[in-house]
Amino acid sequence: MGTNKEESVKKLFTAESAKIDTNRGEPYYDELFIKCQNRLEDLKQLKPLNNRMDFTQSIEEQGLERRDFFKWASATTAMLMLPASFTPLVAEAAVLMNRVPVIWVELSDCAGNSEALLRSDGPQIDEIILDIISLEFHETLQAASGHQAEKQMEEAMEHFKGKYLLFVEGAVPLGMDGNFGTIGAGGETFVDHLHRAAEGAAAVVAVGSCATYGGIPAAAPNPTDAVGVMDVVKGKPLINISACPANPSNMVGVILHYVLTGAVPELDSLLRPKFAFGYRIHDNCERRAHFDAGEYVEEWGDEGAKNNFCLYKVGCKGPMTFNNCSIIRYNEGVNWPIGVGRGCIGCSEPDFWDKYAYERPMSNANIKAPTGGVEKTVDEFGLGLLTAAGVGIAIHAAASAVVGKKEDGGEA
Amino acid sequence: MAKQGYKQIKRMTPAMRIIHWVNVVSMIIAIATGLYIAAPYYQTFIADPAVDKYVMAWNRWGHFIVAIIFDVTSILVAYLFFFSRFEQPYKKVLPTAKNIKEFSAVAVNLLTLNRKKNFDSTHTDSFNTVYFSIFHLLLAWMLFTGLQMYVHGLASGESSIGAWWPAMLHLVTDWTIPVSSWMLGGFDSNMATLMDVRITHHYTMWFLIVWVVFHIYYQVWRTIFWKEADIAIVIGGSKFVKEDKSSKELDTH
Ligand code: SF4
Repeated sequence: MGTNKEESVKKLFTAESAKIDTNRGEPYYDELFIKCQNRLEDLKQLKPLNNRMDFTQSIEEQGLERRDFFKWASATTAMLMLPASFTPLVAEAAVLMNRVPVIWVELSDCAGNSEALLRSDGPQIDEIILDIISLEFHETLQAASGHQAEKQMEEAMEHFKGKYLLFVEGAVPLGMDGNFGTIGAGGETFVDHLHRAAEGAAAVVAVGSCATYGGIPAAAPNPTDAVGVMDVVKGKPLINISACPANPSNMVGVILHYVLTGAVPELDSLLRPKFAFGYRIHDNCERRAHFDAGEYVEEWGDEGAKNNFCLYKVGCKGPMTFNNCSIIRYNEGVNWPIGVGRGCIGCSEPDFWDKYAYERPMSNANIKAPTGGVEKTVDEFGLGLLTAAGVGIAIHAAASAVVGKKEDGGEA
Repeated sequence: MAKQGYKQIKRMTPAMRIIHWVNVVSMIIAIATGLYIAAPYYQTFIADPAVDKYVMAWNRWGHFIVAIIFDVTSILVAYLFFFSRFEQPYKKVLPTAKNIKEFSAVAVNLLTLNRKKNFDSTHTDSFNTVYFSIFHLLLAWMLFTGLQMYVHGLASGESSIGAWWPAMLHLVTDWTIPVSSWMLGGFDSNMATLMDVRITHHYTMWFLIVWVVFHIYYQVWRTIFWKEADIAIVIGGSKFVKEDKSSKELDTH
């Protein structure tokens, strides 16, 4: 949706799937280290915005120890694919996060990404950090509403012009002149709202699959003509943190990377940070041994399910999905979908609702036939084609046998 | 020994015949294992410990091995297509007036159930060459999409034979992602996904099976109705044509 022809042609020849370079050599990291150090010095000069809590203090208030924090810092350094020597810088950057203003807007969504931050089993370091970032505006979380909220957003945009990170959650409906979704007392459409918020942003971060590629609102038949942020916002640094919901660790990772280096992390062809989306779920899945052995859950709750067999036959899409949840899991490593016994639905890939989330192997799924419209499975289509060919051949053979007796044909 | 009044005509070199049968075996294995990889259709004994089974892994192994054999035979066939010292098939697919005429004549022969046969059946005709070229295009698509799916497992950028291999695979096969998506939905379709590659790979299997069914039928049909022992070409390398026909044909080789 939403891509014009010329762009599609260009895409045909410039597509790139995930390729990661985990080691860029010492000179690169030495230079980066100095750059980060300088950047943190500069940030330290700034005052924390809006009398935010002090980070060290909030950690202690939540009953976590400094040691936990350093453990977290080294894990996060590794997640960001930086050498261990960067750990102190990452820790420092985390403390300085309250100096980077963030504006968070919600469009066609279920607020699931905001929920993901709020509903963990206890305050985790990732979540505390998201607490202390200078969240200047968040429609769901703030107390203000109506005109008051609008004013607050305008003020924040004005005050931090060119400096704030814009987080967008939810798809952008373009149908009916954008009137499928409006916000605020003025009835501003989501598209206009997004354009206005993006204008003064230093960078735009699309969180969740809806903001990234349109997600569920854009699933067939896409009545509202929904698209992702990258189809609407042009000419701004854009980072996609897909998945449904996006993992809070990856959100923190992106902000940290920005605080640390002042730049967006390395992105793949779908503009997703490679540190998070460079690896395939299937290759780091704890059930992989069962996949290779041919041991599958045949139906929910069977012997295989009790034995933690591979979920491929009940539709796991781990083999086609790139995300780091098989490595870092959710809620600070507590669990993740495959861990709880249900297959991956490919939520971090484009069009996941139509093309991944059908809980059957691809060849048993109702996928759209090439003509669109009609729902058919690939195998039914193939078998149909084969039958048609068989019938044609049978007719030809029978006809040949009956009337084609002439040996030399009608040779001139 | 040719039958009285018939002349033996060489049509396939030993190399071509070996390639043909290697492809036949590879294709049967590729389909059997490929269907298992798409949706494991038989179960393993649940009582056996996992280390003894390795069923999916063997299927994938078999699938990749025949894929690589297909790669190699395809390269050979592509070479022979242009540079064979025997017959250079590319000359038969160029849309020249002569080829178009021959192509239509052979199609007419098939459609009129051998009533009309206004072409020379001693050498490879344009119709069959075009048909074989379609097979190799389908096969090439299978190889590119297959390798694209394969390289997903090498996300670390490393492989047992070095980092050049995944890098090269990305370079050579990444374009299949948008092209697959385009095939499935046109320019206005949704975004290109890795799943599109899988879907087109799976579709193409069906096209190849249909291709094979017609191919076998047509060769048998020719053998029965032309009475020139065409089916023997792929085994012995030659067929037989009536003397008068072959003599006028021989000098064109
Ligand atoms: S459960 Fe899914 S990701 Fe895990 S091994 Fe099976 S198919 Fe792969």
